[in-house]
Amino acid sequence: MTGTGHLGAIIVTSSTPLWYATRATGLVAMVLLTASMALGLLSSVRFQRPAWPRFVTLGLHRNLSLLALGFTVVHVLTTVLDSFVSIPIQDAFVPFISSYRPIWVGLGAIALDLMLALIITSLLRTRMGLQSWRVVHWTAYLCWPVAVLHGLGTGTDTPVRWVLVLTACCVLVVAVLTFWRLALAWPARPLASTAGVVLILATLIAGGAWLRVGPLSPGWSARSGTRTAPPAGASRPDHRASR
Amino acid sequence: MSQHPDRGSSRQPPLRRPQLRVNPIACDAHGLCIELLPELITADPWGYPIITPGPVPLRLQPLARRAVAACPTLALMLTSPPR
Amino acid sequence: MRGSAVPSAGRPPAPGPRDLRLIVRDEPLSLAEHTACYGPLPSGPPDLLIAEVERSGLTGRGGGAFPAGRKMRAVAGARGPARTGRVVIANGSESEPASSKDGVLLSRAPHLVLDGIALCASAVGADRAYLCVGHAAGTSDRALARAVAERAGAGLDSVPVEIHPTAGGYLAGQESALISALNGNAPVPTFVPPRPAERGAHRRPTLVLNVETLAHIALIARFGSEWFAAAGTPGTPGSALVTVTGAVQRPGVREIPLGTPLGELLHRCGLIKPAQAVLTGGYFGTWLPLPAALTVPVSHEGMRAAGASLGPGVLAVLPAAACGLAETARVASFLAAQNAGQCGPCRNGLPALAEALNWIAFGQAGPDIIGWVEQLAGLVAGRGACHLPDGAAGLVRSALTVFAADVQAHLSAGPCARASGPPVLPVPARWTQ
Repeated sequence: MTGTGHLGAIIVTSSTPLWYATRATGLVAMVLLTASMALGLLSSVRFQRPAWPRFVTLGLHRNLSLLALGFTVVHVLTTVLDSFVSIPIQDAFVPFISSYRPIWVGLGAIALDLMLALIITSLLRTRMGLQSWRVVHWTAYLCWPVAVLHGLGTGTDTPVRWVLVLTACCVLVVAVLTFWRLALAWPARPLASTAGVVLILATLIAGGAWLRVGPLSPGWSARSGTRTAPPAGASRPDHRASR
Repeated sequence: MSQHPDRGSSRQPPLRRPQLRVNPIACDAHGLCIELLPELITADPWGYPIITPGPVPLRLQPLARRAVAACPTLALMLTSPPR
Repeated sequence: MRGSAVPSAGRPPAPGPRDLRLIVRDEPLSLAEHTACYGPLPSGPPDLLIAEVERSGLTGRGGGAFPAGRKMRAVAGARGPARTGRVVIANGSESEPASSKDGVLLSRAPHLVLDGIALCASAVGADRAYLCVGHAAGTSDRALARAVAERAGAGLDSVPVEIHPTAGGYLAGQESALISALNGNAPVPTFVPPRPAERGAHRRPTLVLNVETLAHIALIARFGSEWFAAAGTPGTPGSALVTVTGAVQRPGVREIPLGTPLGELLHRCGLIKPAQAVLTGGYFGTWLPLPAALTVPVSHEGMRAAGASLGPGVLAVLPAAACGLAETARVASFLAAQNAGQCGPCRNGLPALAEALNWIAFGQAGPDIIGWVEQLAGLVAGRGACHLPDGAAGLVRSALTVFAADVQAHLSAGPCARASGPPVLPVPARWTQ
């Protein structure tokens, strides 16, 4: 952080607290979503220990999913209310129509839509057929990586070391547990299981490569479509600009 | 909490109480029902539930509903009482 | 086998004294001969037939013994457009290896069964009818197709009967398994509810009746419920086909008035003495000791009072030269292998039960195996989607009771010499030891 110039910016731009809230709630939501994903995977591999019965996994999974949704809702609200960048409410639900970083905000909209579908169907689980619920629940495997990508693509904090480490830990946890889940399916469906492993490895490699040439390279802000003029005289502390 | 354990059930005669039932085809021995309602459900040697026959006492009905919602395959059912 | 001559063409015979009329001769009856023998297919308001069947007290002859009239009324009155869109299924699958009555009936008197289907179809308002046929010897798909074509030519059946071959396997002929197969799914039992009478084949109310039951309905429609109930007992009215196998000189299918003492029936079949036990009700059934059981009446309440069940009328006599435990062990192995693999208690418990029984019959087992068998029988009974585990548990329990002396002998001195003799009970070739 630079000195008085930055302080001036904070005083002038009243939307900064909202912006910090957006970033913070976004990170927390990612962590909670990762925890929910991890618990869901643990449930699918029938994990249990004497001191950790299965209903604990199930209960935590449900509660953390709701909490994740809660933080995501706050994340969306602070984004919409933040007058620095114009992101109306519909951009949060309809993908790719935003004028600000359309692709990456759009991914967030997709993740939010999927999260709502997952949670609403789970609340109505005993009233809808099991097979329909199951098919919708499989989209969790899409929702979580999309949410993480959204964070990496839109996130101002992506180049920050601890944020990168946090994201990497989340990815590692979900990847390892998904490998466990696929390993369990191997005896019955070796082909699908192997395809899943290959897909995950390919995604990890591609994701890492993209990270290097995308958000971690200079000029990402412009390349990702940050087409918005700041109010006269104000500026936002940009981590890249400060290096 | 009344002293007599079934005092609250006096308003719900046994014939009107719901019963627990498991669909043995859907059941895959996940065991959550056994964890959540050990008063009425025990495990056989292979992990499948053995349900105590008879109507569910009033004080256990909320727990029974929770167990029904927790079943991963929706195999556990609470049959509504006959009219 | 009662032989009454087929009358030549002319007026149909008036209902006479209560003779046994299901099978009148050894060769199949053509449509013309059938009409000459029994009279034309009766017609009338649907409610009248259902009421007549209810009054007769006819119970299902497939083993379930459910009142046929009540089933018909349930299907006719099921939710949905009144008296339309129902399905009738005639169950001639005969998946029970020791039974042959359905095959014999279908080959000798197919038109009685087809009459029954037509009558039930009009009574409940069906627009589809199936005749499900097993692979037992004596049932020819072609002969049945010819019979159906004969009737179509005479314009008899408003609902065309589709002949459906039942899949192999002990469970394929079970009511819900049959419906599952007709719906295009695997021929294995499904979870009930919903009952077939509410939602069965093609999601419509479905009436499933054994072919013999349908033949009786065809006779009741012609000669009335009083004529039908003139034979039999108040608890089990009418007559029934029974299959007698094992240690008798003249095995095969016979029609008897229900309530006939078992001894009289076996004597007529030429009981070969000494005989030690009789298996009643098929592989789902129970053993009864001989000669004590000779006084038991062959009826549902008579068998039940003796701790047995009539089932689909299977009676297999065990000679003294055979080993009851060995026979039961073979049947138990067969039943265990026939499980549909759907329900955990059955999938795990039946093979364990069969294995334990095989240890008693053929191996060297310790005295605590009895307790283990009892525990397994208690664990599997009533915990499957169908009655396979209940039947197997009942069979094993009755074997341990009736052959208790053999059990003690086997446990102390190993398998007896009789256990290695040739098998008496017919178990399909793949499953014999």
